[in-house]
Amino acid sequence: MIDSGSVKQLAGHPFDRRDFLKVLGWSGAAVALSGCGNTSVEDGRETVVSYVEANDYMVPGIGVYFNSTCAQCDAGCSINGRVREGRVLKLEGNPDSTINKGKLCGLGQAGVQHHYNPDRVREPVLRNGTKGETITWEKAYALIAEKLTGVKGEEIAFLSGGVSGHLKVLLGNYLDSLGTKNHFVYEAIAPSVVRAANVKAFGVEMPRYRFDKAQVVLSFGADFLGSWVSPVHFSQQYAQFRKGVNGQRGVLIQVESKMTLTGANADRWLAVKPGTEGVLALGIINALGMATGDVAELVKGYDKARVSRETGVSTGQIDKIAALLKLRSPSLVLAGSAAEGYAHGSQNAAAINLLNQVLGNVGKTIEAPVSVPFPQMAPSKGNTVALKNLNDGLAAGKFKVVFNFAANPVFTAPGAFKFKDNFAKAGFKVAFAHYLDETALQADLVLPLDSALEDWGTQVPEYMTEGAQINIQQPLMERLHANTRGMGDILLNLIKQKKADEYKGFEDYYAYLRGAVLQNKGALGGGGVEDDTFWNDTLTHGIVKLAGTTTSLSAHASAAGLVLPAEVEADEHFPLHLIPGVTASLRDGRHTNQPWLQESPDPLTTIVWDSWVEIHPKKAAELGIVEGDIVQVTSKTGSVKAQVYLFPGIHPEAISIPVGRGHDAMGRYAKGYGVNPFQILDAVFEAATGELAMHETRVKISKTGQRVLVVKDEGAAGALQMGRKIAARVSTDQVDLSKEV
Amino acid sequence: MYRFLRFPILLVGLFLGVSSFAANNSQPALTTEDSLGPQVQQPIEFPHNRHAGLKDPSDPAKGGMEINCQYCHTYARRSAVAGIPPLQKCIGCHQNIESVKDKPRIVELFKYWDAKKAIPWKKVHDLPDFVRFNHERHIKRFVEQQDRPVQEACGYCHGDVKEMTVARRQKSLAMGWCASCHEKDHPVVAQSGTPIAGQAYWYSFQKPAAAVDANTKARGPNDCWQCHK
Repeated sequence: MIDSGSVKQLAGHPFDRRDFLKVLGWSGAAVALSGCGNTSVEDGRETVVSYVEANDYMVPGIGVYFNSTCAQCDAGCSINGRVREGRVLKLEGNPDSTINKGKLCGLGQAGVQHHYNPDRVREPVLRNGTKGETITWEKAYALIAEKLTGVKGEEIAFLSGGVSGHLKVLLGNYLDSLGTKNHFVYEAIAPSVVRAANVKAFGVEMPRYRFDKAQVVLSFGADFLGSWVSPVHFSQQYAQFRKGVNGQRGVLIQVESKMTLTGANADRWLAVKPGTEGVLALGIINALGMATGDVAELVKGYDKARVSRETGVSTGQIDKIAALLKLRSPSLVLAGSAAEGYAHGSQNAAAINLLNQVLGNVGKTIEAPVSVPFPQMAPSKGNTVALKNLNDGLAAGKFKVVFNFAANPVFTAPGAFKFKDNFAKAGFKVAFAHYLDETALQADLVLPLDSALEDWGTQVPEYMTEGAQINIQQPLMERLHANTRGMGDILLNLIKQKKADEYKGFEDYYAYLRGAVLQNKGALGGGGVEDDTFWNDTLTHGIVKLAGTTTSLSAHASAAGLVLPAEVEADEHFPLHLIPGVTASLRDGRHTNQPWLQESPDPLTTIVWDSWVEIHPKKAAELGIVEGDIVQVTSKTGSVKAQVYLFPGIHPEAISIPVGRGHDAMGRYAKGYGVNPFQILDAVFEAATGELAMHETRVKISKTGQRVLVVKDEGAAGALQMGRKIAARVSTDQVDLSKEV
Repeated sequence: MYRFLRFPILLVGLFLGVSSFAANNSQPALTTEDSLGPQVQQPIEFPHNRHAGLKDPSDPAKGGMEINCQYCHTYARRSAVAGIPPLQKCIGCHQNIESVKDKPRIVELFKYWDAKKAIPWKKVHDLPDFVRFNHERHIKRFVEQQDRPVQEACGYCHGDVKEMTVARRQKSLAMGWCASCHEKDHPVVAQSGTPIAGQAYWYSFQKPAAAVDANTKARGPNDCWQCHK
């Protein structure tokens, strides 16, 4: 057989077409010969297992479909899974849901790979020195009870990702029974600064955005088609927006320092100097000339010349945007992760919200959101502030018992936190985990969780669309592994240790869930319906639609307190901005062990299975770097090495490394692929909210002398096809906006 | 200077490697001379003859019970794969048949049932993964449209099951064998005289015969895609 050595040997020599055909012919013949007698027929050897008992609708070879909820991100898309012979095979969107209307993104599709993943934890594991030994659940529960005895409430910490629905209620009750208030909710990537700015401007954290009603969308780095808030829903609204109102196609302008998937779809993409999004927003308000009062006073200083100098956007562009926004109304202006990721992120977001208000969009394309009438089930949100508080507590040795669920802080915490070292100071660490990820590896006790396709639950999405809804999560098939448990079941068992009497009526989480839903049958739209009928109906639909409560929206974005920082001097030692890229498929890296996500090429660079450093071709030429060079990217906190990809869609003063890769644990498809830029993030915080300013890290790059072939799907840059350019390129300055309008 | 040697050596190595792999891979022969498949040991020696065999008019305890194949193999008319009847099906009858309850095979059967465990039957009829045989269409065609007796229709491929205990493959199930039937001219009128609507057209890509009568014949599908999807 050809081993890699001989391939390399061959590759080192001229290998002409004739040789290639020879090898191809011979290997083809060899394969054909080996094919004789080597078929997949397994008469008398393969076992064919039948059902013991089968429902009438279960016919081998015919699929049955069940509704549930996607758990790959927290947008809350409803899914419809095809199950055949007791195995779930394929997930699609549930058309009943107004969030995703029967559609599902690639990340959601990969949910089956989470379920069937060969690297899932299958048994409770207890640390024994540097090794783990499998133990029984009884022993695990007893151990937790033992470790909790005599521990005061303030010495217990529970770190979790975003949780909602009945699980959140149950978790809250458990923490109450432990007498602790230390619930840290941490999502590594969350629009927390924008949420805070929205509360100031509109009175709500996340208003309902109506892309479908807008004629122009001006997005400051909000990747709403890829990874921002509720991308499947936004994509559908975007399609409406592109179809247009009265036949007038909507125009999308994207302003950001690093091109996102949304930026690539924009009619006009503007590279802005990192961090100056707010300046541009004020500059546009000035150019519009529509502002009055203190807003007019505020933007007076932001004349085109200054704004253009500070942001790098030409005066002509500012004029064109202002003209377009004046001509077409309503529009929609969005502040995304690129705008909020700086120390003055709140100010950026406030300036952008102010622009919305000046344009009169509030109430037209920015609507009041709807929420479920059960506030205790609403999703808990959190970002780096929570992690920082936990980290500080850990560093001080405050916590004796720490729980971790649905978060991987050892991987996602900024390097400057030294979270791994601090985590080690906790007395007893329990991780509820699907994989032995970086955090689970540091834990003392790892409890294996059911996959989302095996577990019961309810989920309340943060971003509601038409009316409120509670999503039902139900098992699509039996447990794959006998010893995994649902998070709800585990919590119920733990809470019974403290409040046995109160919870003795609930045999398992299913019983709890059923009881809780039926108890509120009337409020959930099932008044007068029999219990079984209502429950079966609920499971069949997978969604409970409710008349939600509408929070009123206020338009009091004001100029008060809005101060944008002066131009920052370039840092001599660390001249470049590092932009951690958030991709639609990998997000914060919790799903990296799903090989479809590693294999599907990044939409902008087409790179697979590896990380890369995006550098502007001009900057690269200046530094003498070409594609495939391995460079060392160094910040004040640390450094990583990765291959270079020359990318015209990035500001010359910035570089970008995608997050999500660079695991050193988790599983065979995640471990050892790429680098983890979280590791080199400096501890710079957003001034108003205290969240991590993800885009504030400055870096320098140096060549290592190594060079690799970048594995990507695209052809060479600027390649010709049939003697012509694949797509004609026109720089944004050359585009005649009057033709677009 | 060794360049001219490199390829022959590589190719010989390649060939040896692959052929040794093929030689090591001992498989039961696909077909024996009489097209019989291998004798398969089953966890319970299921007596097809007792269930589907002809009744013995002189002694009802001895002969078969003439149970329709589709009574147990109920999935065959509903799905591409025939499947194996669920254990529940066996028990449905046998819990009421006291006379055989102590027979070793039935005791064994109830052991599986009590443990709620599936019986690990061995596959007797298997096709390569690149072949998609569809039971449902064949039963629709022969049993429902042409009114052929069920045992005859199933027997085209499965042989005379009513004479067997544990089923054994009777036909080669190779492509040539399938084609030998698909190439035959078949009547497009049911035995009862009913014309089979549209079938002649679909089965041989002809225009439907203007007047279908008992003499009109058509062939089974002959495009590759029908089985190799």
